[in-house]
Amino acid sequence: MAGVAGGNDFQWCFSQVKGAIDEDVAEADIISTVEFNYSGELLATGDKGGRVVIFQHEQESKSRPHLRGEYNVYSTFQSHEPEFDYLKSLEIEEKINKIRWLPQQNAAHFLLSTNDKTIKLWKISERDKRAEGYNLKDEDGRLRDPFRITSLRVPVLMPMDLMVEASPRRIFANAHTYHINSISVNSDHETYLSADDLRINLWHLEITDRSFNIVDIKPANMEELTEVITAAECHPHQCNVFVYSSSKGTIRLCDMRAAALCDRHSKFFEEPEDPSSRSFFSEIISSISDVKFSHSGRYMMTRDYLSVKVWDLNMENRPVETYQVHEYLRSKLCSLYENDCIFDKFECCWNGSDSAIMTGSYNNFFRMFDRNTRRDITLEASRESSKPRATLKPRKVSTGGKRKKDEISVDSLDFNKKILHTAWHPKDNVIAVAATNNLYIFQDKIN
Amino acid sequence: MITKGQKRKYSPEEVEATDRSNPIWESQRQFVFSVSLNKYQRGQELPEPSLRRSVLIANTLRQMSLEFCNAPAEDEVPPDSSLSGPEEVQQESPSNKIPSAKHHPAQVVTNSSSALTTCSGVSSLHSSHYAAGRNLANCQWNSSTVPLSNGDEDEEWESMSTDGDFSLSAAISSILTALDSNIEESPQAVQRTPFQSLENLSRSSEGSATWVKQGVRGFVGNLEEWDECRVRENQMEVTRSAYLTDFTVEDLFQDIDTSLLDKDKLFGLRGCGVGHPAGDDLPRYLLPISPSASSSQYLSNQNLKCLPSFSSFGPLSSSPASLPTIFSPSSSLFPDSRVVLPLT
Repeated sequence: MAGVAGGNDFQWCFSQVKGAIDEDVAEADIISTVEFNYSGELLATGDKGGRVVIFQHEQESKSRPHLRGEYNVYSTFQSHEPEFDYLKSLEIEEKINKIRWLPQQNAAHFLLSTNDKTIKLWKISERDKRAEGYNLKDEDGRLRDPFRITSLRVPVLMPMDLMVEASPRRIFANAHTYHINSISVNSDHETYLSADDLRINLWHLEITDRSFNIVDIKPANMEELTEVITAAECHPHQCNVFVYSSSKGTIRLCDMRAAALCDRHSKFFEEPEDPSSRSFFSEIISSISDVKFSHSGRYMMTRDYLSVKVWDLNMENRPVETYQVHEYLRSKLCSLYENDCIFDKFECCWNGSDSAIMTGSYNNFFRMFDRNTRRDITLEASRESSKPRATLKPRKVSTGGKRKKDEISVDSLDFNKKILHTAWHPKDNVIAVAATNNLYIFQDKIN
Repeated sequence: MITKGQKRKYSPEEVEATDRSNPIWESQRQFVFSVSLNKYQRGQELPEPSLRRSVLIANTLRQMSLEFCNAPAEDEVPPDSSLSGPEEVQQESPSNKIPSAKHHPAQVVTNSSSALTTCSGVSSLHSSHYAAGRNLANCQWNSSTVPLSNGDEDEEWESMSTDGDFSLSAAISSILTALDSNIEESPQAVQRTPFQSLENLSRSSEGSATWVKQGVRGFVGNLEEWDECRVRENQMEVTRSAYLTDFTVEDLFQDIDTSLLDKDKLFGLRGCGVGHPAGDDLPRYLLPISPSASSSQYLSNQNLKCLPSFSSFGPLSSSPASLPTIFSPSSSLFPDSRVVLPLT
């Protein structure tokens, strides 16, 4: 697969944008998760209103072969509703925290979606045929009078407009006291894990009334709590291995074969702190917001506030690669702490071949790093650069006093426009970037 | 969001974190400290606070207080003057903050508590931040108006600042506990209800914790101080209950002839519970209870122990079994059976 940054052979260009153009963004429309399925044919988004929208990739049209096909709405459904916990007098948000697709095993598609407390397994199936000519009922559904039936006929299947149905097949509830931050489907395709702030549970996809708790970091005395779980993921190939990251910047790899309870890790990944860059906010910015295994299973990537780190699973004491996402914010940490931006949880993702990684930033910027060439690029998801097939222009943030033309100064950055969720097509160079309530789809220009 | 009265002359960003002698660092530290406390409290007021955020803020606060405690003590200042120092720092003028802060490391050195749990210097700092009337700062042990007058009281002072101080991490611990009890219904949460109530008390009434401490000292040192402390109803009740429940009823009755119990006065105490009348009466009632210095010492120690720091409190560990009763919202703060005040 081609590299990410500029170069003669590769450029990113705008493909589509989904979502309203209004300046007034309804809170419920804010996209909270983006995920391609295993083939890349389907792209699912979840929003704060508890809805899931699935886009499907249309085949390339013969008339315009230089364009990849577009993603169009395939299905929309309400996954979670707001709930009220009467016991604790707390409202449970319907915001979709994560969507994870299951590998496809038949004509239907399955995905797991979760809010803070409940995970649901949804089946998305197509119906494009309808049976006509029933004996006992009319076409409009009314029952026929049995005495009027004089002959039998065999119903025939007639084509109909495609209908996509989403139905909840399993509801996994009441297993988490704290807010669920991650779900991850295991490579055995039978189990999955769900993680909240203090615990990780292992579920079987068929069993909803029971789950196994495999990690519990809740101290006996809550006063001693200094660390929470921020993300967890199953290994892509080894069904006994998973990792979880913490708010202290550490990652623990656990092997489920070692013990029923994986409170004791098998590997502990932590980079020693650089004493020269110590500040009041050192711990907060070291908090890991996302952890993702590479497709190969040999590496994992972690995102903390200012950087992305690639770890080799065989080396625990430091990452093999570190990429600065927006180092110019280091001197602004105090203000970012004040306006709460320092707590933003950015996600990161690999491309299909693990040669590039992508993550979001502020001002609707997102960054891509090529691991081979060590080149990086900053792009912007904005309506201005949303002309069809328009090539995206690399953006630059000026840190010094002098601001060159086309550069933007750090103080002009819009910290309300943050790109927290991004996804990369598992095979092609197609990326989906969620900017508040809009979903941007970019693809490479085939030359 | 910036605490009133605090000027930010310099952009706090360009400060070397490790350069502690830099006044810019100090002002940034104070700024971050106050912002952190603000955030924490506002976060707690949300119906469902984010645990990750709360933990991160709490860790930042803890780390800052640790760093401050580990800062080298500039002068060895006797506790007397260190007490009087913060007394003057009632206002939140930044220039006064630093001198008072510098006095306290000396005191901290003498404390035997773990660095994590106590930093009286920190408390004075955040007391000056919150002179406007925020919660934690009202636990101004250091700003007690009762001067230390003798060596015994020095000891008590230290132990008070050790365990009586709503010290930073104690407060954080209590907040985390309250957070947990919000989130998780568990036996632990039930046992921790007394904390919540105590915290709510100190939060709801400005200076109530101060009042409690002053009351303790007043009892120990000179009961005339008692007269001077005119405060609101709930503060009075807290103080009274703090004292009274620490004695067993038998202790109370040892020196008291119950035939002397004047029902009128008793009802009077119960009835008003407000400011003057009760305050006037109480010292008189309490005087007979403390016949000797030694017993008063004992009682004072008991009183001190009845207000432990949150981090050391365990549901079964502290001796006064009456303590949960006192602070649980359901029981009256002035339980009938215990209001047996000796009447002359």
